[in-house]
Amino acid sequence: MKKIGLVFAAAALATCLAAGAALADIKVGIMVPTTGSEATYGKDMENAVKMAMDEINAKGGVLGQKFITTTADDGCDPQMATAAASKLTSEDVTAVVGGYCSGATLPTLKIYADAGIPFVITAANSSKFSDMNPGNAFLVNAIGSFQVETAVELFKKQGVKKLAIVHQGDGYSEDLASLTQKKWKELGNEVVAYELVNKGEQDQSALVTRLKSKNPDMVFWTAYYADGGLLIKQLRQGGYKGKITVGDGSTDAKLIQIGGKATEGVYALANPLPEFLTTGQKFIADYKAKFKTDPGPYSALTYDGMLLLADAIKRAGAVDRKAIIAALKKTDKFPGLSGPVTFTDKNLLANSNFVVLQVKDGKWSLVK
Amino acid sequence: MDLFDIVTQQIANSLILGSFYALVALGYSMVYGIIKLLNFAHGDIYMVGAFIGFTALSLLVGFLGDGWLGISASLILSMIATGFLGVGIQRLAYRPLLSAPRLSILITAMGVSLLLFNTVMAATIGEYKAFETGLGFEGLDFGNIHISYTQIVLVLATALLMVALTLFINKTIYGKAMRAISIDMDACRLMGIDVNKVIALTFFVGSALAAAAGVMAGVYYGSIHFFMGFIIGLKAFTAAVFGGIGIIPGAMLGGLLLGTLESFGTQLSWIGTEWKDVFSFGLLILILVFKPNGLMGRTEIERM
Amino acid sequence: MAANDGSGAAVARRTGLAGVEDRLAAFFDDRRHRYAVFAALILAGLLVPRVGSNYTLEILTNSFLYIVLCLGLNIIVGYAGLLDLGFAAFFAVGAYSTGILTSTFGWNFWLAIPPALLFTVIVRVIIGAPTLRLRSDYLAIVTLGAGEMIRIIARNMKDLTGGASGLIGIQRPSLFGLELNQISHYYYIFLALAVLAVFASDRLEHSRLGRAWKYVRDDEDAAEAMGIDRVAVKLSAYIIGALFAGLAGCFYAAKMTAISPETFQFMQSIMILVAVVLGGMGKIAGMVVGAMAMVLFPEVFREIGSMRMLVFGLILIVMMIFRPQGIWPDRRH
Repeated sequence: MKKIGLVFAAAALATCLAAGAALADIKVGIMVPTTGSEATYGKDMENAVKMAMDEINAKGGVLGQKFITTTADDGCDPQMATAAASKLTSEDVTAVVGGYCSGATLPTLKIYADAGIPFVITAANSSKFSDMNPGNAFLVNAIGSFQVETAVELFKKQGVKKLAIVHQGDGYSEDLASLTQKKWKELGNEVVAYELVNKGEQDQSALVTRLKSKNPDMVFWTAYYADGGLLIKQLRQGGYKGKITVGDGSTDAKLIQIGGKATEGVYALANPLPEFLTTGQKFIADYKAKFKTDPGPYSALTYDGMLLLADAIKRAGAVDRKAIIAALKKTDKFPGLSGPVTFTDKNLLANSNFVVLQVKDGKWSLVK
Repeated sequence: MDLFDIVTQQIANSLILGSFYALVALGYSMVYGIIKLLNFAHGDIYMVGAFIGFTALSLLVGFLGDGWLGISASLILSMIATGFLGVGIQRLAYRPLLSAPRLSILITAMGVSLLLFNTVMAATIGEYKAFETGLGFEGLDFGNIHISYTQIVLVLATALLMVALTLFINKTIYGKAMRAISIDMDACRLMGIDVNKVIALTFFVGSALAAAAGVMAGVYYGSIHFFMGFIIGLKAFTAAVFGGIGIIPGAMLGGLLLGTLESFGTQLSWIGTEWKDVFSFGLLILILVFKPNGLMGRTEIERM
Repeated sequence: MAANDGSGAAVARRTGLAGVEDRLAAFFDDRRHRYAVFAALILAGLLVPRVGSNYTLEILTNSFLYIVLCLGLNIIVGYAGLLDLGFAAFFAVGAYSTGILTSTFGWNFWLAIPPALLFTVIVRVIIGAPTLRLRSDYLAIVTLGAGEMIRIIARNMKDLTGGASGLIGIQRPSLFGLELNQISHYYYIFLALAVLAVFASDRLEHSRLGRAWKYVRDDEDAAEAMGIDRVAVKLSAYIIGALFAGLAGCFYAAKMTAISPETFQFMQSIMILVAVVLGGMGKIAGMVVGAMAMVLFPEVFREIGSMRMLVFGLILIVMMIFRPQGIWPDRRH
């Protein structure tokens, strides 16, 4: 008992010291998963914030003040996330950037709202955010319903009659899957299969046979690249000849690496990836030079999120949370890497920026 | 696809899936049979085996190529290395606890699982690795059914390993010692059997089999990742209990049956993939309630 | 050989910390001493919100939650000796029942608690009753499977449970007109729950039923020969243990306002079990220590990031080898 009390006191002391240091800087909290199965994405996002911060600081910071960051791991788990949010709140951060897993991010909204902290969410995009937002959270990533519109348009253009949808049983991919199913049925079309794959389960041959027996023209995978690559490979191995589309969680070079030549011709819905934007080339080069690895699918959005925050602080004219929230609300066509950012009255991204990509010769290329 | 095609294709699918389950289930069963430990870390041993095989193949690819020769060599290397890893784990983590309460050693196994899982996660920064080989999709076609040569070779390799294991258990002196220890460890010690050595050997064989399954799964599915052992560990554990834990042929049968149940469970439209796991766990519970010692288990009375 | 390894470590320990430990144990064997320390801890707990930050409160609230869960599982594993690998399921039933009743059907939170507990008991009996005669290892896998089934059902029954995204926007309860929406409110609530759980466990342990549990655990056949109905006794342990988890679940739903199936995964059950064993099965103080260690460890070691679970695994192994009976063991054995 005594020992634990001691450790705890030490931890509390460390927290106080950390909070007390460097008052003149603007402290930004980064809430992303840095442990667990989603850690890769979290690290990408943390890197992106730090890169944006270094660039701003190199130019003299904002309002004469420099940025510093502190990272709190949410582990993609609601309990860990609420602890992480309270930790950031206790450290008295000016604003928070991050939020990867919708399920873990949602319960933290209230904690930040109570403390009046502006929260720029750069990856999580469940449609539930529109009902749950207490007013301080801003979504830089387009929510699922935008993606569904782009998807349905693509399916129509491809002359799809029978659609099969496969998700992974987590909040994000199920959200996208069920929204697509609803929309596709509303248009009077047929969804012949609505299936689920367990995360990390390697054998999908039974599912492939089931899908094949339903004879769809298009299989839509709404979850992440890792298992998506496997599914595509096994679909082709099992002799499926129809078309395949993947959602934005799968739009990654690693999908092609894992799926191999089976991914040729696969369509993908994506946030404009930096490699297809003229402004993005410099971002990729800088990122690679700094972190010795390729940027992840949400790096560009997160980079935008941090720059947007700095811009809002500049527009607010003071490091005051209320003023920053007001300034964020008034954001008008902020020029981000992935397109202009304007918010709706619910603080969601006002216009969709989804594009369609296709694998050609083992590489993603833009479909006009 | 007509009904006949679907059934035949699902049987082919379940043979592959069942083979992997069976290989991993054997390790659970052997270890349980000899020291009554549910080795929770066994799924992670399978995962580590896959990563060792992956590393070996990327080193050997220059000399032996990425075809069957290179794959077989890295499979054998991984089986040996993982076998020794299993022995090391047993020596350091489990042996000091052989006489401790059963739950303590179970918790130790969970600790080992966490350790392996997180070490590989840290080493790979959580990334999936593409297990690239020169094997293609070529195979035999029967109308709508497609069976690749890779699938045929993997099922044959599994069968070979199982035959070898059965011979080892039934015909060699070490196999005899293993069977004897599982009946009465203290009596064996009194009879002069080096119990620790035989237990170590059991861990070696069990881990090597899991490594074989891991490498084969890597080759077959084409990608490996740090949590690939979790689900298969759970399923193989189920398969081992299903067949009657501690019984070698039971683990094989349990693995194959679970694979079949899952494949056909996926196909049945009134179940659907969302309910697939509820189906297999539910069935397992029913079997255990009505046939409490597994399919091939003896009836015996036991206390904790 | 093997037998020597275990007791060898025990002998080595005796010479070192033995004196302190024995005196501590003797001190706590006296009921008055126990209650005095307990009262002092509660008093200290009540004063924390005056000095602690929200982060401190959040972490301590989490520890109190785990104290309740651990004490519940302790009744099943520690007292009755039934290995349960799916304990998070009952936590889930409590949380989901409360969430559904309050947000979908508009019930008052406090009125939703009794039906939520009733559901917990019903589910427990459905899962528990047929499995009571199983061997311990099979019991482990059956409870594991049942726990996973409950989670998958919660994930798949979308209309009722919100599917994989979970239930969102659960109403905050109010108490005497005060809406409970601050972390300090939940700190006091969970502190009260933890105190209640400790008190209930203490009474149960020394009751007739508590003795029957331990008797069945130590020698089932002898217990039966003495006229103890072992099925009824085991089932009662199951139900009472599950009630602890169900109650914790009700308040968890209110605190989080959003619950999703991921919280109730297999790993959650394992973590609770690990805390129970780490603390020392069958000992109430051990549960408190185990639960606190479980929650504080990852928080204290936040700085080492992804390596912390690795270190945690290592600690588990070392701990089990050198002190398999837990941090605060049941010394009467």
